[in-house]
Amino acid sequence: MKKTQSKAFANLICSLFLLAFEVWTYIETTGFRIHKRAHVQPATFPQIMITGMFIFTVILFVQSLLKVTRGMNEFDPDNEMSASINPFTHKGVAAAFFVIILCILYTYLFDRLGYVLVSACISIIIMWLIGKRNFVMMILVSFLVPLIMWFIFYKLLTVNIPMGMLQPLRDFVDKL
Amino acid sequence: MNWGLLFESYVNVFTSAQVIGMTLLGALGGILLGAVPGMTATMGVALLIPFSFGMDLIPSIGLLLGIYCGGMYGGSISAILIHAPGTPSAAATLLDGYPMCQKGQAGKALSIAMFSSFCGGVLGALIMTFLSPLVAQMAMKFTSAEMLMLAFFGLSVIVSISGKSIAKGLISAFFGLLLATVGQDPTYGAKRFVFGFRPLLSGFSFIPTLIGLFAIAEVIAGVERIISGEEKQQKSEEKITNVLPDFKTIKQIWLNIISGGIIGTFIGAIPGAGGDIAVFVSYGFNKSASKHPELWGTGIPNGVAATESANNGCSGGAMIPLLSLGVPGDAVTAVLLGAFIMKGIQPGPMMYVNELPTVYRVFAALMLANLAMLIVGCAGVRFFAKIVSVEKKMLYPIILVVSLLGAFSINKSIFDVGVCVLFGVIGYLMNKYEFPLSPILLALILGPMCEQNFVRFVDVNNGNFWEILNRPIAVGFFVVSVATILFSIYNQHKINRREAENRKKADNA
Repeated sequence: MKKTQSKAFANLICSLFLLAFEVWTYIETTGFRIHKRAHVQPATFPQIMITGMFIFTVILFVQSLLKVTRGMNEFDPDNEMSASINPFTHKGVAAAFFVIILCILYTYLFDRLGYVLVSACISIIIMWLIGKRNFVMMILVSFLVPLIMWFIFYKLLTVNIPMGMLQPLRDFVDKL
Repeated sequence: MNWGLLFESYVNVFTSAQVIGMTLLGALGGILLGAVPGMTATMGVALLIPFSFGMDLIPSIGLLLGIYCGGMYGGSISAILIHAPGTPSAAATLLDGYPMCQKGQAGKALSIAMFSSFCGGVLGALIMTFLSPLVAQMAMKFTSAEMLMLAFFGLSVIVSISGKSIAKGLISAFFGLLLATVGQDPTYGAKRFVFGFRPLLSGFSFIPTLIGLFAIAEVIAGVERIISGEEKQQKSEEKITNVLPDFKTIKQIWLNIISGGIIGTFIGAIPGAGGDIAVFVSYGFNKSASKHPELWGTGIPNGVAATESANNGCSGGAMIPLLSLGVPGDAVTAVLLGAFIMKGIQPGPMMYVNELPTVYRVFAALMLANLAMLIVGCAGVRFFAKIVSVEKKMLYPIILVVSLLGAFSINKSIFDVGVCVLFGVIGYLMNKYEFPLSPILLALILGPMCEQNFVRFVDVNNGNFWEILNRPIAVGFFVVSVATILFSIYNQHKINRREAENRKKADNA
């Protein structure tokens, strides 16, 4: 295994990202409104938190850097193979990313297509993606679960959920 | 203790059809989810919390406590039948539960697990009833300085048990505290990290964040595991015959049940220390106290009883800091705290003054939740044994659409669905690189408490924070917090070294 595939190296990269994030958030806090008579400014508490996060990120960075540069004991847990987020080399990661994209699309289409339809679509796609091939079962479960959930929320919990194209169904349930 | 009011609260809770129905429903949901490996009680509560919106406080708390207690027991089903603990709290149950199953005593092991869970839960609820008012009375004297350090103590314990790397645990905690500052600042209303985006003014809603971190992240990771071939379908062929243990077995295990229940309750009462720690402490204690420690791990009922009573005892224990101090004992009680706040009630010492009937009803609801777990467990034990074989290919998409609907229903806002997805992605990445998630959850709850008390204390003392050194209880909390972190660093170092040695030995062998 290459050094760059170890958990120590992954920690090193993570800490670099975190350091960049902390610097950015700290700069953001300098733009918060200032109250002249206040002992504690609106930026004070976030700045303390960022400083705390920064200190431990530096510790993680130094620990990982030492492990990567000096080498590690064979049995060090950080010497194990790190998890990958490369979708081109790991089909599992590619599938996970695909699910994330589906979730983003779901959020976009939730209002437009309605909960039942968009949920049924995403369920069928994910079931197919992870190898389910019983189409009758897939379609049944994918439509029935969101329908039952919608009914529970709409009728029992009185939460109005967007129905999009299936709006007539709500009118029908209301008439009943 | 107002005995008349306590009795009245018990009568109210135990005669309310809505509370009984919701608690039974919660217990059923908790056992079902707990029985599926990888699904935790936290996730169960996160999934089912939106169902409690339209309800009054006590039925909704009954529902959530039902899930909590049911989930604790449910985890043992898969631990006993397929050697895969459904929840982290059931990790020690498999030490004796699975060997019992291999000996053809699966039914007996499950019945002991259920009975011990019930007894441990009842014991925890009783201790909570008598202990939490005392803690609350003590906490009445707390001012902003003590509350600030108490929140810090809660975070330090959470961080110290949250994984292999203390640095990562602390980074998660500070990240959570930072997230808690998003929106308008509580004192002056200044916008922080809003970026001109109006929905962010009120910050990240707790429930969508929770659902994202624990449910959506698990679905994404689960899909990855299935595609990578790391998740195998597990099946149990065991036939379950008996539902409750016989008198002879109860006589054999009653001491383990009582000691496990007490250990579980007291460990659960420490903010951050949950069932996963309690079960191993209880197992270790009971084993060393046994006349035949060599039999432990070979499939004896005592092992199952000691661990299962401990993990359900924790539910009562974790409620002590929640109700008396307003500090959640674990991730599930953090969600319960969210539910209380959602209903306009702030747990803490003042709750014992202003909302005493509610406090007593919560005590009664926890007792009812344990009873509901026993009833549902007895009625459905044969069916629950089949749940461990449920197909994840169907389950994950269902969890996804139910979770996202739950996130939407809080404020009927698409923004919350987006928040849920965002935290799902964050949770997935953090899990992948072994950053613990629980500190974020607790930081989101404890963050505002920390900040408000910090601002109040500094304002009252004209900007002199070091005045806190004149508050002995606050200093005590601070010292204990630092000691906890230092001890955890030392302990983790020891665990890592032992793990390395074990691996070395295994390699040489």
